[in-house]
Amino acid sequence: MLGDVRLILLFIFGAWLVPPVTSVADDGLDQIRLRGTVVWGADQEGGGPFIYPDPDDPTRLIGFEVELAQLIAEHLGVTAVFSQGQWDKLPDLLDRGDIDLVLNGYEWTSNRGERYGLSIPYYIYELQLLGRATDDSLTSWDDLLKPVDGRQRKVSSLGGSAAQDYVEQFGGDDIDMALFEGATDAMDATALGLSGIDANVQDLPIWRFYAKGFPQLRPIGAPVGRGFYVAMTRKADQDLLRAVNEILLKALQDGRLHRIFAKYGMWNDTQRMRGLETDESGGFIGSPARAADGDDQDAATVRYEPSGGWTVIQQRGGLLVKSAGMTILLSITAMPIAVFIGLLIALARLYGPWYLGKPAAVYVEVVRGTPLVLQLYLIYFLTPKLLDIIFPGMELTINAFAAAVMGLAINYSAYEAEIYRGGILSIPRGQMEAAISLGMSRSLALRRIIIPQATRLVLPPMTNDFIALFKDTAVCSVITVVELSKQYYIQARSAGAIVELGLLTALLYLAMSYPLSVMTNRLEKKLNQERRG
Amino acid sequence: MIVLTNLVKRYQQHEVLRGVSLTVADGEVCVLLGPSGGGKSTLLRTINGLESFDSGSIRVNDIVLNAAVGPERDAALLLIRKRVGMVFQQFNLFPHRSVLENVTEAPIHVLKQSREAAVLNARRILARVGMADKEHARPGSLSGGQQQRVAIARTLAMNPEAILFDEPTSALDPRTTADVISVMTDLAASGQRMIVVTHAMSFARTVAHQVHILHAGRIAESGPPEQIFEDPQQAITREFLSEAARA
Repeated sequence: MLGDVRLILLFIFGAWLVPPVTSVADDGLDQIRLRGTVVWGADQEGGGPFIYPDPDDPTRLIGFEVELAQLIAEHLGVTAVFSQGQWDKLPDLLDRGDIDLVLNGYEWTSNRGERYGLSIPYYIYELQLLGRATDDSLTSWDDLLKPVDGRQRKVSSLGGSAAQDYVEQFGGDDIDMALFEGATDAMDATALGLSGIDANVQDLPIWRFYAKGFPQLRPIGAPVGRGFYVAMTRKADQDLLRAVNEILLKALQDGRLHRIFAKYGMWNDTQRMRGLETDESGGFIGSPARAADGDDQDAATVRYEPSGGWTVIQQRGGLLVKSAGMTILLSITAMPIAVFIGLLIALARLYGPWYLGKPAAVYVEVVRGTPLVLQLYLIYFLTPKLLDIIFPGMELTINAFAAAVMGLAINYSAYEAEIYRGGILSIPRGQMEAAISLGMSRSLALRRIIIPQATRLVLPPMTNDFIALFKDTAVCSVITVVELSKQYYIQARSAGAIVELGLLTALLYLAMSYPLSVMTNRLEKKLNQERRG
Repeated sequence: MIVLTNLVKRYQQHEVLRGVSLTVADGEVCVLLGPSGGGKSTLLRTINGLESFDSGSIRVNDIVLNAAVGPERDAALLLIRKRVGMVFQQFNLFPHRSVLENVTEAPIHVLKQSREAAVLNARRILARVGMADKEHARPGSLSGGQQQRVAIARTLAMNPEAILFDEPTSALDPRTTADVISVMTDLAASGQRMIVVTHAMSFARTVAHQVHILHAGRIAESGPPEQIFEDPQQAITREFLSEAARA
């Protein structure tokens, strides 16, 4: 019996252990060429003009980083493959070997340079202070330091960004900060004046791209805090890093970089700070010669157009429905595993010897006592390290879907174990006595008599948990799985249609959970009838 | 032969069985009588291992059950339980199975009989206890007396050498009690060996071969029913019988 269980577990989990997409060894560039693809990571959520769904065809991704990735891939003679990841987790994905390259507005910092390979800058950014158009009390950076109505000024920014660092250095304890996960969320909150937020500090290209969607905001003062957007590789992948540098320099000098950024209204004089730009003849361009080359936002051919109403539902609804498929797939794969593990844990606690029962009890407490998001994160990022220790040199890892299913299954197994334990305990003792009095072994009695009865009892509460699981799949986005919620954030932020797409998303969740609710009610009724006889 | 030798059982400090010895011969009906708390049910439940005991031994034909806990005892118990059936006060039918499935469950999964053979046998036994027309019913839809007759059928399907009855009619009303007693009487007449804990005096008087009066964990008096009921030797027996008559 124990051997069977081990075999089953090996089957369930073993099938998902796969070699990593990329190699963490130092032959990265050879591997990329061998594979024929370079895998680059970015977060498309709130990602304009960096990377975002094409408003005309939301299944396609556009943005200057998409074009940069194509540029780099062409230079390497391979195809660019995009891999979605949460912005702040992208370095972890590099470490894990899921991606070769991060291209997502990562700023150069000396700390980052110590851990990762950082390319020459593909863009020189600046930060822009934004205030509300109606707020006359804020007209300069210095105004931020002056309290208003007896309270400190509050500034919003993207968490972990250069903007946050800049404001903290500028204001110290005299300015409160409100950190957001999405750049557009931070602008939204500032426009609405939520939680007393007075101003927003934003990367200039982001502000320029979204300015049309935020007529309530206005830029204050000149841009500040110049810095570099760089491509990021693993430290060991020096060949790859050099190749990226090569193409960036080449594209800067032959004008391709200029054209890409101009398309998104991002080219400005600041870009010449590198002092490396040449014209067609190869001559150095020291200063802007033609006005058209200068800081001219109107040259942009791609712009942010907020959309809404039926149009946005028609354009992007299909994507949401498709992602709902991922939500369903995650749930229906994870739940049976959770129930199975839960049953084993419950049996170990109720009937197992102490060396099984005690660990099972600890398992339940640990799993129930820690957040699901942490469990997912640990499974996804620690499993490859553990596998490397157990099977050194085999370079095994676990893919995101498998990690998500495992995390959900383990998390829910603790709850299902407790439900099963309660169910088994509520079966009268006489049932086991009758079964063993008929010559059944304890395990046969459990299988044939106790567990089938307990299962009837636990079905309604477990269906409730199943409904909860559908909603909990949303946290899987931290480990790069794009399910319904993540897709909603991506689409709603890029279209600026929070309400319309939000309602559709809620409807989709309801469509998944309502049939289950109906089923639970029917089950409960049937069970009550059976009990009454 | 079922032979109990000097059985002792304690719950913490309290001695429930204080050295009980008795023998049940083949084809014999043995009835245990006595006041509540005298150890009757406990004694019955030690025979098929639902209760452990602290010293003494139990022998069922060639199988010996000792007090020491361990794999040897577990193996002996598995054998004893296949040969010795039990009927409970609360019936303990499996509510998620039909009447027929209750009866075929153990023959199929313990004795490894074919489904066809088990069903054939079960139908024959259900007819014998007067429950043939209820084979598709769920236990929950039956009366107590009907449930108890199914429980007896379930035990009979294992073709047991002996059946232990633990107050089989105590949870029943008088009318259905009569049905169950009649089934038990029929079984006794067919030579089925049984050990019965009961308060049904008429059954003890008319069907039993041997009656044992259990009091305070000891056998106070043993003998054929004529002797116990007509000419009790012990004060305890007389007291018990007069109280039973009043009730």
